[in-house]
Amino acid sequence: MNLIPPTGSHLMSLPQYFRLMDTMARMSLQADASRYFFGYVWWLLEPLLFVGVFYVVFDLILDSRRADFLVFLMCGKLTFIWFSKSVNQASNSIVSNRGLIARINITKSLFPMAVIQEGLYRQMAVFALLVGFLLTSGYSASWAWLYLVPVILVNYLMIIACAFAGACLVCIVRDFGMFISLGMTFLLFTSGVFWDVRELGDPHKTEMVLALNPLAFMLDAYRQILMHATAPDWTHLLQIAAGAIVVLAIMVILMRRFSQYLALRALS
Amino acid sequence: MLAMDNVTLSYHSQRKSFDHGSHHVLDGVSLKVYEGETLGIIGRNGVGKSTLLGLMAGILAPTSGTVYQRPGKTASLLTLGLGFRPDLSGRNNAMLAAMLQGSTQKQALGYLEEIKEFSDLGDSFEEPVKTYSSGMRARLGFTTALKTHVDILLIDEVLSVGDAQFREKAAAAMSSRIRGDQTVVFVSHSENQISKICSRAVCLHKGRILAEGDPDEVLSAYGEVVA
Repeated sequence: MNLIPPTGSHLMSLPQYFRLMDTMARMSLQADASRYFFGYVWWLLEPLLFVGVFYVVFDLILDSRRADFLVFLMCGKLTFIWFSKSVNQASNSIVSNRGLIARINITKSLFPMAVIQEGLYRQMAVFALLVGFLLTSGYSASWAWLYLVPVILVNYLMIIACAFAGACLVCIVRDFGMFISLGMTFLLFTSGVFWDVRELGDPHKTEMVLALNPLAFMLDAYRQILMHATAPDWTHLLQIAAGAIVVLAIMVILMRRFSQYLALRALS
Repeated sequence: MLAMDNVTLSYHSQRKSFDHGSHHVLDGVSLKVYEGETLGIIGRNGVGKSTLLGLMAGILAPTSGTVYQRPGKTASLLTLGLGFRPDLSGRNNAMLAAMLQGSTQKQALGYLEEIKEFSDLGDSFEEPVKTYSSGMRARLGFTTALKTHVDILLIDEVLSVGDAQFREKAAAAMSSRIRGDQTVVFVSHSENQISKICSRAVCLHKGRILAEGDPDEVLSAYGEVVA
């Protein structure tokens, strides 16, 4: 009898992996939409309500003193929500799928990836809304908007890297879920969602924020492209992409190597 | 098909409570599962039967010892109350289960009507699983595992639920799979089921194998333990 020790996780081909990920994401979106009266409208309604709340507080009450505050806020908030919601939900995805994990030996990265894919579908609709809003607010479409493609790609890599790390940490020690939620609130205040990182007054401080907080750089890059038709700092963008790829590669190796340990932690 | 060599597994619940069933220990277990056989596992509550199935499915890794499996073979664990996403419909859960077990999307779609019919779920098949009774969940779980292909079917106590009519139908379908070339490992408290269905049995006691071999001989060893 030709028997070998198991490899750590059930091996599946890449096309099979991506098909499963996509199927899980679509099913989840469908189930989510059927739960609410407004269904798929919530894809746009929820982020718009968030923007509305921030607009009332920071413009109408606190007076932002920016004529373009609504566009500025939308560029920052709508992209921040993509990151924070995806990472938050994906962090709990291994634990919340323990029913499936208890049944079959499966690559654990599938669960955060399905959540991220779900977020990507929603975000595509949000990006379309953002572009539509810009066009109706007096901004003209520019070739520079094509710079969005690499920026979105790097943002996507950042989300996957953080989500994989978060999903493993929460699976091993549930308390990390609390730290991740708190971390998102910290990022909300420190990434320039409702304030301009370029108007801090001290150029050194601006540089420091952009260097230390990749999300602040990303939100600024979206604004530079969409509002000022300016290319992002490619070196900085590449550094963030490289960092995300390194974290991602490490997490993929760890998730494969310790697949059964993660299952044990999810189930116990 | 599968072999375990001196396997030990020990872990502790964070909640420090036996109620959550997370404290199981296996100690130096060695056994083989042969292709096409139906192996019954019997033992009292908490002796490590479900953990043993988890190790066979490759879901858990042993603390020490080795679980050998034939490359490329799939094993699926059918157990009560697990394996479903409550927010998804029965149809989507069945589809997902089939794809997770290695079916293509097309193959999985092909299984769905058969699963709907056999499980007797009717229109509930389109409803979220969170609205199902435990019997309905068991019917869906059993039928999904039965109708989709897995090389080793690991069944944990699942044949004892559902109404009498479904139990009869499930047992008949199970017998027909067993008569074919399906490899089955079957955990049960029911001595009658083990004796009727299994070609070989193992009795677990305190994480170790107490008896192994002919089901009737193993059941008499089990009888002495519970007496």
